[in-house]
Amino acid sequence: MQVFGIRYRNTQGTLLRILNAVSRRGIELPYVQATPAEHSHTVTLLLEVSPKQMGQLRRDWQAIVDVTEVRVGGRVSLMAKPASNWTQAYPPVSAGGVEAARTASA
Amino acid sequence: MPRGAEIVLACLRAEGVDLAFGYPGGAIMPLYDALEGSGIRHILTRHEQGAVFAAEGYARATGKVGVAIATSGPGATNLVTGIADAKMDSVPLVTITGQVRSALLGTDAFQETDVFGLTLSLTKWSRLVSSIQEIPGVIAEGFYWARSGRPGPVVIDITTDALKANMEFAGPVKFQPAPQPVDAHGGDKFPAAVIALLETAKRPVALVGAGVKLAGATCPLRELLDRLSIPTMATVHGLGAVPAETPYYLGMVGMHGTRAANLALDESDLLLVFGARLDDRVTGEPTRFAPHARIVHFEIDAAQLDRARTCDLPVIGDLAETIPAFLAALGRVSLPDWKGWKAVAEGPERAETDPRGLAQPTVRLLDELYRRLPEDSVVLADVGQHQMWAAQRYRASSPRGFITSGGLGAMGFALPAAIGVQLARPDTTVLSISGDGGFQMNIQELATVQRLGLPIKMVIIDNKYLGMVRQWQQLFYKRNYAETDLSDNPDFVAISQAYRIHAERLGEDRMRELPLGTEAGRLLDDFLASREPELLVFDCHPEANVYPMVPAGAALSEMVFEE
Repeated sequence: MQVFGIRYRNTQGTLLRILNAVSRRGIELPYVQATPAEHSHTVTLLLEVSPKQMGQLRRDWQAIVDVTEVRVGGRVSLMAKPASNWTQAYPPVSAGGVEAARTASA
Repeated sequence: MPRGAEIVLACLRAEGVDLAFGYPGGAIMPLYDALEGSGIRHILTRHEQGAVFAAEGYARATGKVGVAIATSGPGATNLVTGIADAKMDSVPLVTITGQVRSALLGTDAFQETDVFGLTLSLTKWSRLVSSIQEIPGVIAEGFYWARSGRPGPVVIDITTDALKANMEFAGPVKFQPAPQPVDAHGGDKFPAAVIALLETAKRPVALVGAGVKLAGATCPLRELLDRLSIPTMATVHGLGAVPAETPYYLGMVGMHGTRAANLALDESDLLLVFGARLDDRVTGEPTRFAPHARIVHFEIDAAQLDRARTCDLPVIGDLAETIPAFLAALGRVSLPDWKGWKAVAEGPERAETDPRGLAQPTVRLLDELYRRLPEDSVVLADVGQHQMWAAQRYRASSPRGFITSGGLGAMGFALPAAIGVQLARPDTTVLSISGDGGFQMNIQELATVQRLGLPIKMVIIDNKYLGMVRQWQQLFYKRNYAETDLSDNPDFVAISQAYRIHAERLGEDRMRELPLGTEAGRLLDDFLASREPELLVFDCHPEANVYPMVPAGAALSEMVFEE
């Protein structure tokens, strides 16, 4: 079993694309944990994969728009505490970016 | 204050769109209501699949983003095959679909489908837009992703209330991407690494794919290949990137590749791959692909690495930069003399032979058509045996001159795609070759051809079978021709005439005459010279087969030849 940590901007569908890269290969997803952290969320996956699949998955994830980092290895932490302030979706470009989102939530 | 629909169209214009293909319906009606005066010419097809294939043809012929528009529900789902096709063949495509009003989302409303969810795995990027404020940013970002890096499809699904809403509009916006993680590549050290491999190679070869053309790197590639002068082959999408008369060019490689190309690749000890993704149609059995070779893979999309085999040296980057950099580094480097290897790989013993059997008349027809085409013509092939014959005989050197559905292999592609190509290049001869099966899948687009008066030259290779499937049934399923019999095809000439398009039928016996008879020659001349749309139906022997063929599970060297 291998642990993967993928950091991504939580835009519409990005998490689904990350998971789809696994499911389309017929690989089971026994463990998934997504954790918000400001506008950059992290999803941790535990997968049974071959070395070749590992390389392919890593590259597929990196090709997804709004995925910012892919890490292989690390620990699975259960009951992770989500950050409380940042639960909205990433604001669109036309809304002015991060500052507009902060203002909207104030 | 403009409506959302008007803002969509203004943003499309800002992205350089002046042509879109589509089919109206309920949810997208506000957009159609705003078309007049928008500066965008809309081409009405007769099926949404026709629209998306036409948009693809336009994009493939120009390199610009193709745009297809459809309504919600079945309109959107009818686009899916084209979206998948664009993904597989790296075509920049933006589809705009209407969606039910926001309050109804998720209720299985009339003509509601989750097109965003449906197309997630088929798109580079997509968005469900439910508020007018999002429209400018989403359109800008969608076009950016459709064009950038490895081009691909984008879906923008807009609720009907967002299209009807009004807002103050300051104008289209520009999208600025956040920095993306840069994958490992050789940086500026890769040329030395590649040169080191070349210096020790005894049997180097080069493989050229579509990526060279997409990068606009055909010229530096040709210069590089002339410098290296090593046996070179192309994928079906790489055809035209290397002039066919070049002495070191061996032809197409893969399942129906040439003997010379397949053997050379199988025997190579160094494989330079330029913009090809090494899919299974090219590699044969992946575990037995290029068994002796070290692989250097020039590619813009790191996700394409290590499909068949782990590559020894990835060179990730825009080929428009990496190829010139490599060429510059080669400079006056003294490379080995590969004369012995080239004599074997390019020798007459491995030269192509013309078909002698049942396929001979069809192949001759294609040769006679190709011989008559102007150099800048565009040839489209649908999917099947005719596609492989058309690819095998293609000799032109136009990088965007041969267009087909390669990765997805979607039948019904050629006719609607030809519409997009002809509109993109109105002064070019466009030859669209289909089988009798594929032609019927989008036959309704004859209406679009006729309405617009597009002088497309359409050929049906009519063997009254689903030919490629029948070939496999003959070779591997003991001639059990299950559900591939199309012997009750309609009269295509009569159908064409019903669409007010001139059509002729040509028997294959005319293609056995040596030399070609005067009447047959004149028919072909008139067919190509006509300024009107034309259809030519060619009777092909039902059991003509495409050779060579690499059977499933076999290595490239294990080709089956014509008996």
